[in-house]
Amino acid sequence: MTTEKVLRVRGLRKWFPVRKRFLALIFGGEQKYVKAVDGIDFDVYAGEILCLVGESGCGKTTTARTVLRLIEPTEGSVRYHREEITTLDREELRKIRTRMQIIFQNPFEVLDPRMSVKSLVGEPLEVNNLVSNERELEERVLEALKEVRLTPPEDFARRFTHELSGGQLQRVAIARSLILRSDFMVADEPVSMLDASIRTEIINLMTELQHLHRLTYLYITHDIAQARYIGNRIIVMYLGKIVEKGPIEDVIQEPLHPYTKALISNVPVPDPTAKRKRILLKGETPTPIDLPRGCRFRPRCSQASEKCKRQEPKLREVKTGHWVACHEA
Amino acid sequence: MKVLEVENLSTHYQLGGETVYAVDNVSFNIDAGETFGLAGESGCGKTTVAKSIMRILPDNGLIATGKIRLDGQEVVGLSEKEAKKFRWRKASMIFQYAMSAFNPVLRVGDQIAEVLKEKERYTKDVAYEKVKKLFEEVGLEPSRIRDYPHEFSGGMRQRAIIAQALACNPRLIIADEPVTALDVIIQGKILDLLKKLKEKYDLAVLLITHDLSVIAEESDRVGIMYAGGLMEVGDAISVFKESLHPYTAKLIGAFPSVVGKKTRLEFIPGAPPDLISPPKGCKFHERCPFAKSICRANRPGQRELNKGHFVSCHFAGELDLPR
Repeated sequence: MTTEKVLRVRGLRKWFPVRKRFLALIFGGEQKYVKAVDGIDFDVYAGEILCLVGESGCGKTTTARTVLRLIEPTEGSVRYHREEITTLDREELRKIRTRMQIIFQNPFEVLDPRMSVKSLVGEPLEVNNLVSNERELEERVLEALKEVRLTPPEDFARRFTHELSGGQLQRVAIARSLILRSDFMVADEPVSMLDASIRTEIINLMTELQHLHRLTYLYITHDIAQARYIGNRIIVMYLGKIVEKGPIEDVIQEPLHPYTKALISNVPVPDPTAKRKRILLKGETPTPIDLPRGCRFRPRCSQASEKCKRQEPKLREVKTGHWVACHEA
Repeated sequence: MKVLEVENLSTHYQLGGETVYAVDNVSFNIDAGETFGLAGESGCGKTTVAKSIMRILPDNGLIATGKIRLDGQEVVGLSEKEAKKFRWRKASMIFQYAMSAFNPVLRVGDQIAEVLKEKERYTKDVAYEKVKKLFEEVGLEPSRIRDYPHEFSGGMRQRAIIAQALACNPRLIIADEPVTALDVIIQGKILDLLKKLKEKYDLAVLLITHDLSVIAEESDRVGIMYAGGLMEVGDAISVFKESLHPYTAKLIGAFPSVVGKKTRLEFIPGAPPDLISPPKGCKFHERCPFAKSICRANRPGQRELNKGHFVSCHFAGELDLPR
């Protein structure tokens, strides 16, 4: 892997204001925020798949959307190659977005059922005026369909979404993002809606494209087992913060943060002879509004000490490339 | 003791003048104190099996042939009025969407008490006492029986649904994707709870999910469905470790794992057949790498290849399947 950074994120925050209650509106009162993403740093290197994992509400999707500026960050810097994204104006943003793409979880919602596959896949080219004539458009569409293995492409180009399966629809969505020859893709739970065997096909396709075009992905998933099979590195988030990051096998084989340990121990494995013990955590993940002082995992942590109450742990490198935010790890 | 016996069950749906052969000749049984995991991809008919047992098929659904015995009682021919009597009391069902299982404008406790008043003819006070006990049983604060569904988290709502399913002391609980919408840590807690209750009350549990990892960890015996048919049935370790059907082996291989060596994930080219006109011969032959002419011509029957380990494949036991 190279050290060339496709994306460099520093101090990223996204706070959503909470609507005040009636009495607070009249008498004033403190404005509260949902601290969905609360100060995170990470880099995505050229040609890698970086997985962002965590449970619902940990801020992984907000992170993904904020780095593309689909939602505006509250604070922080996001650099794509050398360009600072957070300060771009509309026109500049539109241009740069042709090189950054996103694949969503539910292709049924994303793809317009009234458009043919050809128009769906060709749309990004037309919108951005990147083709001069109909023939060129058609060629590019067929080429993209071939790349995502929708063959024969001429046949698929004529179809509509209701004539395709979930796996095929997700391929159309991938073709749509490939056609602009972008180098960076955000994939937000792209296979969660699909059956296991189709999942593998899509995951294999994405890793093939990664190698073929030297694509870089930020891959969002709640499924740490799936992350192991697609990612090079992994970031684990909890309540808007990164608790651990590192090479994927290191983190899965030797997790350092008590939260990561619990998370991995609770992932079921397809083997009835694997006798595993689930680490039970107290309570459930709270909403990131009134967060505790110190470490935000402390109320659920069995190893918490006095220090964890007072001081928020910072990420530190414990082994090469393997970082953890825990005083006791 | 057998709580549930399903014998040659076939269930069809009428769809625009055509027949969908959703469940085709399925047989299995579940003992008291046993979890039977029924797995398969979307559309394979696993939920239709559950709905047939509960007799809650939609209007266009019909049990065409077969027998279903629940706690010794034949369920298939029962009138709706008679079927109402066994629901909740002999068998109850937990659904995937904890969100929509409760009426959002009624208190959770009231909704469970309603079942008890209706089914067990409990008076109000007795019913509420029982609801409090049930809440405790599933790990909810008894004081929360006055809460509304939106005041519960996803995990708590799933616990309340389990409490409701237990209310009338059923012999069988059907859990249809009970943890699919939940985060893994809560998922683990709910699965532990189900296991604890199963042991305590000697329940038969039919666990339905597409997630073979959940099936592997929670089931005593396992059935693998494909295109409406049961391809393989046996104890969990045999089905996972000595799979006999090519579909089972491939499907297991498609599931990623956080333990052990990282191997290449399997996939099965093609898509399941259309159940309006299922293929002649073995339903899996179009996607099976081992298919020969007999597979295209004759549908394989279910054979017991090893003790208690059944399979529907002409070449079971002779194939070199991925492990």
